[in-house]
Amino acid sequence: MASPATAVDPQSTQPMIETLRACTRDVFGTMVGTSLAEGTPIDGDALRPQSNVVGQIGFGGSRSGLVVFYATFAGAGSITRALLGMDADADPSKPEVADAIGEITNMIAGSFRTRMATDGDAWAISIPTVTMGSDFYMTPLTDGRRTMLPFRMGEHEIFVELVITTRVRRA
Amino acid sequence: MRFLVVDDSTTMRRIIINTLKKLGYTEIVEAGNGREGIEKVSEGTVDLIITDWNMPEMNGIEFIRALRGMEGKQSLPVLMVTTNAAKDDIVEALRAGVNNYVVKPFTPDTIKEKIDAVMAH
Repeated sequence: MASPATAVDPQSTQPMIETLRACTRDVFGTMVGTSLAEGTPIDGDALRPQSNVVGQIGFGGSRSGLVVFYATFAGAGSITRALLGMDADADPSKPEVADAIGEITNMIAGSFRTRMATDGDAWAISIPTVTMGSDFYMTPLTDGRRTMLPFRMGEHEIFVELVITTRVRRA
Repeated sequence: MRFLVVDDSTTMRRIIINTLKKLGYTEIVEAGNGREGIEKVSEGTVDLIITDWNMPEMNGIEFIRALRGMEGKQSLPVLMVTTNAAKDDIVEALRAGVNNYVVKPFTPDTIKEKIDAVMAH
């Protein structure tokens, strides 16, 4: 059973995509100390990023949806070392990596929420959840517009996905 | 100067502590939520508190309200570091007794400016 569908106007969501790109760049530039190279955003779910560490936060305001952060173990380790000021050859623990990716996701989604709220609407975000593993598949139980934002941090690819909900699927 | 850093995220505590050390501050104690923060304040001298807003058990706003109710802690400087940056959030934090506010993400220069500002008062 699903709630009634509403169309997502691509033009109306373009500012959200640009805002999320800018927030991601700012968080990495400020907190990780690295500039991200940006790829072209990809609409839909054709691209399944190869990722082992996934941070996810829900948002609600005049639109609702998810911000999802994807990295490989190697990429997440590199981000963790930079965030925590660890040596380049240090091997962060899994809890350290999970906490660091949760915090990165939280800062990206928090900045996104703040910028989206400047028009006067009240926006809120959920607490982050982080999934780690080597053989899992993430799929939100919502229909809507999905846009994958690819970035490159040195040798590592990372992805930030914006899911704008139109209806929620229920069993 | 002795700092108390209150945040449920170990990552964010380490980021703030590393930033403080880069700025030359070495006396730092930490707590994982507001309740632990109150315990640390009760245990010994703290000159400046840096706290998160969203935390389990006792959040940053509840922590500051409790702190301001403690004898001799009404004017203890408090800096809030959070992603909550809406105007209403800032007003609520200031009303609760926060002296200054840092929005994540932040640079070491921003932290230094805010520390200098709250200590100047």
